[in-house]
Amino acid sequence: MPFDESIVALSTPTGESAIAVIRVTGGLCHQLVTYIFNKSSPQPRKATLADYIDENGLILDQVVYLFYAEKASYTGEEMLEINCHGNPLIIQKIIEDLLARGCRMAEPGEFTKTAFLNGRIDLSQAEAVIDLIQARSEKALDVARKQLDGAVGKKVNQLIDKLLEIIAAIEAYIDFPEEDLPPEGDPGPVSEMNALVEEMNRLVSTSHYSTLLHEGVRTAIVGAPNAGKSSLLNVLSGEDRVIVSREPGTTRDFIEEPIMVGSYIVRLIDTAGIQEPGSEIERMGINKAIEQLDRADFVLVVLDGTLPCPTLLLEQKEKFPEGRVIVVENKIDLPDQMDHRSVLTDFPHCQVSALTGEGIEKLRKSLAQSLETGLDVPDEGQIVVSARHADALKDAIKSVIEAMNKLGEGIAIELVASDLRNSLDALSRITGKIDNERMLDKLFGTFCIGK
Amino acid sequence: MSEGTDFSYEVIVCGAGHAGCEAALAAARMGAKTLLLTGNVDTVAQMSCNPAIGGQAKGHMVREIDALGGEMAVNTDTTAIQYRLLNASKGPAVQAPRAQCDKKAYQFRMKHTLELQPNLHLFQAMVTGLIIKKDQVEGVETNLGVSFFGQTVIVTTGTFLRGLMHIGQTRSEGGRMGDFTSKGLSHSLIEAGIELERLKTGTPPRVLGGSIDFSELVEQKGDEKPVFFAFYDTRGEEDLFHVEHFGQIRQGWQPGDAQVSCWMAYTSNATEHIVRENLTRSALYSGDIEGSGPRYCPSIEDKYVKFPDKDRHLLFLEPEGRHTDEWYVNGLSTSLPYDVQHDMLRSIKGLENVSLLRPAYAVEYDFAPPTQIFPSLESKIVENLFFAGQINGTSGYEEAAGQGLVAGVNAVLKNRGEDAMVIGRQDAYIGVLIDDLVTKGTSEPYRMFTSRAEYRLLLNHGSAELRLLKYAERYKLLDNKRIGKIREKLKLVEKWTVALEAGKTTGGTFGDWLRRGGSEDTLPGEFLRLGEATKNEILYRVRYRGYLNRDLGQISRFSNLERIKIPYSYDYQLVRGLRAEGVQKLSQIKPANLGQASRISGVNPADISILMVALGTKRRAV
Repeated sequence: MPFDESIVALSTPTGESAIAVIRVTGGLCHQLVTYIFNKSSPQPRKATLADYIDENGLILDQVVYLFYAEKASYTGEEMLEINCHGNPLIIQKIIEDLLARGCRMAEPGEFTKTAFLNGRIDLSQAEAVIDLIQARSEKALDVARKQLDGAVGKKVNQLIDKLLEIIAAIEAYIDFPEEDLPPEGDPGPVSEMNALVEEMNRLVSTSHYSTLLHEGVRTAIVGAPNAGKSSLLNVLSGEDRVIVSREPGTTRDFIEEPIMVGSYIVRLIDTAGIQEPGSEIERMGINKAIEQLDRADFVLVVLDGTLPCPTLLLEQKEKFPEGRVIVVENKIDLPDQMDHRSVLTDFPHCQVSALTGEGIEKLRKSLAQSLETGLDVPDEGQIVVSARHADALKDAIKSVIEAMNKLGEGIAIELVASDLRNSLDALSRITGKIDNERMLDKLFGTFCIGK
Repeated sequence: MSEGTDFSYEVIVCGAGHAGCEAALAAARMGAKTLLLTGNVDTVAQMSCNPAIGGQAKGHMVREIDALGGEMAVNTDTTAIQYRLLNASKGPAVQAPRAQCDKKAYQFRMKHTLELQPNLHLFQAMVTGLIIKKDQVEGVETNLGVSFFGQTVIVTTGTFLRGLMHIGQTRSEGGRMGDFTSKGLSHSLIEAGIELERLKTGTPPRVLGGSIDFSELVEQKGDEKPVFFAFYDTRGEEDLFHVEHFGQIRQGWQPGDAQVSCWMAYTSNATEHIVRENLTRSALYSGDIEGSGPRYCPSIEDKYVKFPDKDRHLLFLEPEGRHTDEWYVNGLSTSLPYDVQHDMLRSIKGLENVSLLRPAYAVEYDFAPPTQIFPSLESKIVENLFFAGQINGTSGYEEAAGQGLVAGVNAVLKNRGEDAMVIGRQDAYIGVLIDDLVTKGTSEPYRMFTSRAEYRLLLNHGSAELRLLKYAERYKLLDNKRIGKIREKLKLVEKWTVALEAGKTTGGTFGDWLRRGGSEDTLPGEFLRLGEATKNEILYRVRYRGYLNRDLGQISRFSNLERIKIPYSYDYQLVRGLRAEGVQKLSQIKPANLGQASRISGVNPADISILMVALGTKRRAV
């Protein structure tokens, strides 16, 4: 069924957990198994261990998935259950990938509703659904009301107004062909469409900040083996969580620890030491560390104050996010200090001893300051949209761009209108239904129609 | 009428305008004994305003009327004096036929059609009141002192209910200049508990052609190859008769022959000056008019006040017929007094010596807000009483005719105890029109625009017959021969839409070729030999496949909601979890199904989810 809509939702609570369950239901499920897990005919109801491969061919996580055939699932439609590691980033990446593959975020209670409509659950269960929908929608309404008063609602309504003005200009040509309108093909709408896309893109980019707020600032601690990365993590988080050993290369995989710095959650990520690899295992550890570096919002570069700066680490400099790096010169409690102030001069340096705690308070302060200045913190009162809003905005942007391309190619104007309407539908997922009357108000307010 | 005369009918239609004519014809053609009452049989199917039928969205509706067995399309084709396909440079979905008609010829032909129609009794009498017992209508009273009894009554009274005309500060009662007004019927409706509100509309001045200097105007000719409204590829020419033909050997002009031109003119700075100087003398600006007027058809006063930056306004001079020199000044609707109208007209280049034939005027009238009717157009308050046309708050001949046809069909179905014909929004503009009216109501005279249809691309004018075939079949609105021909056409369209996607040509299928902008000349000869209308529909479906599929996808997603019916007497108060606003709106509109419920403003998605569960519960319990 080509028109089937598939919905996706995280079934387990948000936040960190051992295992998270992401559920998809709808006609796309079979196809998803084929493309994501490279399995063309999945055996229903069989738990299968596999790598989750995203649209770009990257492995996001090793997961266990279960496929349910139509009429033999909770919802009555095809269903796919993905059990992944409970890391918010992994969950986010997987859900984003599923959205990119054509799924849509489920509304509150939608799985259960689908189940009821397909006759999969009975009357008493259905009664419970009402409570669920009501409770969720009350909450949603509450949130919506707050957002309506707040900046997001206002902003999105402004965007809708602008979009409606563009649509009105195009609809005027379609519905009032014999009016004395400005000549068709006037570049007016194109520049307005460009401006609108830019504005929507800016809004989408703020969703990253809302992820930062919710899930914390990913802060990679990188450095040579035995430079004291794990000790630093421990002293910052205030407990002996990571096994510290003098034996270099103890940390093979990464370890995460959330701490509060100022008003931010900072997720400290300890990584394998970066140096010329000796063994294959070490090489893998280093690759993983570099991967962490790629994904980090913030980087703490740990240098051993008593040793020369390792060249392989310096080679990663390109990967350090601008304005979001602190160089930590560790082991100031030891004699024979080398001066590292001449390396990585673009970034602030802190001298500490992870062992004695000397300089750690200063590092915290420096970190807090760098977070305030280095992160793209939106101005006071500036709008930050959620991932769900960003999802809708991205769809809206896509349609406006399609419409612009069509205008450029001189393709029939009603198809341009069709794309713009799609864009409007996407925005209406944020604000609720947009009545055609609002467009007509713009049209008759802008153009003197009256043949 | 002597003793023993039968005063009983299955369907009584009050008013013989565009809605009334279609209503009466539809009912009679379904075999119901029908009475059509009009205050004046000489003004049957009168075009009270512009002398044109069709245009954007309206032209689509006229073709839909033809597909449902109505008369407007043929009546237009046979009395039109100029044809133009609007939006010819745009895609097929938004192209729309429009015709200038000979006003008198249009009326005569429609009148004769009514006269020839079996089961139909056309009679001149003014309805003064409804006979209503126990919330059921039983008939009508007339000014002749005679009452007629009907199982169902359709009210199509246009602007005649308490019509009040304004020219400057001069007011006179009447629904149209030269005609009467009806007060009794308004009282009858109010007494029955039906709410009435006021709307306003207007019409521009008419001038004498001989006094126009056409050399100063820009000519707008008709299309050389006219696009007709009726579907002659399936109905056959035998159905055609021309106003000059009936009872005689064919003579005179054929449809599309000897077309006449319209002419374009512009207002001048002097026009603006005259209007501004006299604003206080306009009924609109002196506060005399309380009803809301249409935004899409503003008076010249409004144009100057609301768009002060626009230095000139476009006007069209349109001929009213072949046998008259009366011209319609399109774009110059006004309620300024006669002397100002005179000066204003003469300030326009080409009209310096113009002679006014009829002044422009505004008219206020009662309408019954259409949230008081079902999608069948039957009143929610008085059983067996139907409303169609301007009384429902619409504007335009085509909007009226479409509703009239639906009301006529549904009155008969009601008498037979059958389910009403409700046309889907995805199937026709007529469906969009009625759904909008009964679901949202209206605060200005409602005119159809293509932008009102969310599935506009599926509603191209050429596909009207195919889209509406299922309704025509189910309610037997067309004769078997034509149904057969439409079925054949549909089969061909479906067959070739698939075949062109399968057939290979250079660089892909024929479908790919067409979508890349390839010419149709290289398509298989068998295809090229198909009829023009069939071929065009296939090409449209192939070329626009992606977009049409997108719309079809949305329809299938929403079809779940449309399928879940809500009983009329459903008590929303008893639904656990429904918000108070939802309960209030739903109880007022009484939607027929969840789809309609979801389109009511003030009903949110959570309400729909809750209702869905509640209705599912009930359905199972039965």
